[in-house]
Amino acid sequence: MIPVKEELACDVAVIGGGIAGLMAAIAAADEGADVILLDKANTRRSGAGATGNDHFLCWIPEKHGDISVVYDEFMDSQNATSNDTPLVMRFLETSPKIVNMWNDWGINMKPTGDWHFEGHAYPGRPRIFLKYDGHNQKKVLTAEAKKRGVRILHHCPVLDIFRNDEGVTGVLALDASDDEPAFRLIRAKAVVAATGYVSRLFTTDPTPSQMFNTNMCPSGTGDSIAQAWRIGAYLVNMEKTYRHAGPRFLARCGKATWIGVYRYPDGRPIGPFITEPNVETSDMTSDVWSSAFTDLKLAGTGPAYMDCSGASKEDLEHMRWAMKCEGLTALLDYMDKEGIDPGKHAVEFGQYEANLVTNGIEIDINGQSNVRGLYAAGDMMGNISGDIGAAAVYGWIAGHHAAEHRERKQSEGELAGAKDRMALYSDLYGREGGASWQEANFALQQIMTEYADCGPHRVRSETMLNAGIKYLGDLRKKIVRDMGARDAHELMRAAEVLNLLDLGEALMISARERKESRGRHLRSDYTFTNPLLRDKFLRIWRDGGEIRTEWRERLR
Amino acid sequence: MPPVIDKEKCTGCGVCAEICPLQVFRFRRKEDAVPEVRRPYECWHCNACVLDCKAGAIELRLPLTHMLLYVDSDSLKPSWTGRDTQK
Repeated sequence: MIPVKEELACDVAVIGGGIAGLMAAIAAADEGADVILLDKANTRRSGAGATGNDHFLCWIPEKHGDISVVYDEFMDSQNATSNDTPLVMRFLETSPKIVNMWNDWGINMKPTGDWHFEGHAYPGRPRIFLKYDGHNQKKVLTAEAKKRGVRILHHCPVLDIFRNDEGVTGVLALDASDDEPAFRLIRAKAVVAATGYVSRLFTTDPTPSQMFNTNMCPSGTGDSIAQAWRIGAYLVNMEKTYRHAGPRFLARCGKATWIGVYRYPDGRPIGPFITEPNVETSDMTSDVWSSAFTDLKLAGTGPAYMDCSGASKEDLEHMRWAMKCEGLTALLDYMDKEGIDPGKHAVEFGQYEANLVTNGIEIDINGQSNVRGLYAAGDMMGNISGDIGAAAVYGWIAGHHAAEHRERKQSEGELAGAKDRMALYSDLYGREGGASWQEANFALQQIMTEYADCGPHRVRSETMLNAGIKYLGDLRKKIVRDMGARDAHELMRAAEVLNLLDLGEALMISARERKESRGRHLRSDYTFTNPLLRDKFLRIWRDGGEIRTEWRERLR
Repeated sequence: MPPVIDKEKCTGCGVCAEICPLQVFRFRRKEDAVPEVRRPYECWHCNACVLDCKAGAIELRLPLTHMLLYVDSDSLKPSWTGRDTQK
C-alpha cells in the first residue's frame, strides 16, 4: 500500500490552482476560512493561464453603458450555447470589481492607459473583451493567495473527493513531487473543484502521434469533473463538445490575437466580416463559423490561411506584444528562429480535435453543485462559459460561498470510500509489466474518436454510441486489470486516464440522449434541429450504481 | 527533444523542474547538477521553463511534427489559368 504521508484538515479545499482555483482560494481566505489549495504542478505556471492571457470578457459600465450591451454580445459569441442567464448576469455584474482588483494587484488591465476592448468582435458592434497584459497573472495571484495564508500544495493532484449524507467531507491527494508516491488525506468542510477543461479525450487531430499537442495545456484532463461525477454531482451539457482552431500543426489557442484576415489560397477572404486586417475586431469568421477550416478542406478549396500582410508595421508590433501577453512566447521564438514573418507569410490554420470546455459540473448562482459543500469554477462549469473572465469571477464567487461552510462541523471518523480508492491506486502502482498510461489513454482516444466524435466531418448515431459505450466498458475492465504505474508521475497520469474514462462515458450517454443535430453535435439518425430542444440542457449524474439523465429548461 | 538545457549555463537551481506544468524534468537537488529532461513527449512547449530560467540556459526545440505551415502572402492570389486564360 502506498503510504499516507499526512492527514490535514481545513475549512475549504481548492482543487486546482488555475485562475478559478486561485481566485476561489483568495476569496475564501478573505472571508476568514482556513484554505488548502492543491495543484498538479506549481500554481505559478499551471493551467490554461500559465504563461498569460490577453483578453478578459467583462463589463466596464463607463465604457459599455448598460449591462445588456455586454450580455447580448456575449450570447452571440463562440461557445455561448450553454449559458444560464442568471449566472451570466451575476458574472458580468461582478466583473468590474474583479478587473479592478487584478489591476490593483499588479496585473496590468490597462496596458494602453485606459480600459480598451478589442478582438473577438463584429465590425460596428460593441466590443466586450478587455485587452490586458496577463503575462504575470499566475505569479501575482499565487502571491496574493499566499499573502492571505492559503496553504498551497504543489505537485499534489487530487485523486478523489469524498462525501457523506451531509455533504463533502474531504479529498484524497497524491504527493507526486518525487518518484515515490505518497497519499495525503485532507478533511474539508467545503471543496471547490477547479481543474479546468478536458483535453486528451479525443485523438489529437493535427498530429495523432503527439498526444500532448493540444490547443490547451494537456495537463487539463477534467479530473475534478470526474471526481464530482463519482460522488453524484450533476454534470450538464456533456454532449456539446467544442473544437478550437489555430495554426494547423502547432496546436495553440489565441487565434483572435492574430491581426489578419482568413483567406482562401486565391486570396479571397473566407468570411464576410473584414477584407483587410482590423486590429479592433480581428477576424470573427472562425468564431462564428468554427468549422470553416475543415469545411474548406473537405470542399477542396483549402487550405485556409491567416494573412496579416496588410497590417501596418505598428499593428504587427502590437500583435507581437499581445502574443507575449497571451503567453504565446514559444510560438514567437519559433517563428523568429525559422524566419517566419507574419507581415510577409500567411500561416495555415486548422481545426483541432474535440475537447470539453463549458461542459461539466452544473452549478447554482453561488457556484455550488447539487452536492452540499461542493463548488465548481472555471472552464469546468457546465452551465456558463466566458473563458478567463468567468473563471476569475466565478472562482471568486464560489470561494466566498464555500467559506460560509466554515461554521459547519468537520466530519469525523474515516473518510468514507477513501480506503477503497487508496487500494485501487496502490494496486496500479504495485503492478509490474502491465499497460502504460499512454497505451490506455490512446486506447480511450481511439474509441472516443471512432464512436463519439463531432462535426463538421464526424457524425454520431444511436447504434454507434451504443457500440462505443459497450467498448468503453470493456476497455475500462482491461485498464483496471492491466494498467500499471512505475512512479508517482505515472500514477498521476494513470489516475487522469481513469477520470477521462468516466467523462467519456458521461459524454457518450448524453450524446445518445440528445436526439437531434445541434451545432457540432451531428446525429446521422436525427439530422434535424429540434426547436423544442433549443433551450433544454441535459443533466447526467450517477445515483448509486445507476446513471440517470434528465432534461431541464435553460434558466432565462 | 523539447527543452534543451545548456549544461555550461545551468546553475542547477531547479526552477524549471519546479514550475513545469507537465513534469517534463526530473531534478533531485542533492544528486543532480543539471535537471534531466525525463519526459520530452509530455512537453507542451509552453515556454515556462525558458521564461523562468534566470541563467537563460534553456531553449525549446519544437518537434518536426509541430511545424508551422506557411506560404508567402504574395502567393495568395488567383491562379490565372483555365477559364481566365480564355478571355
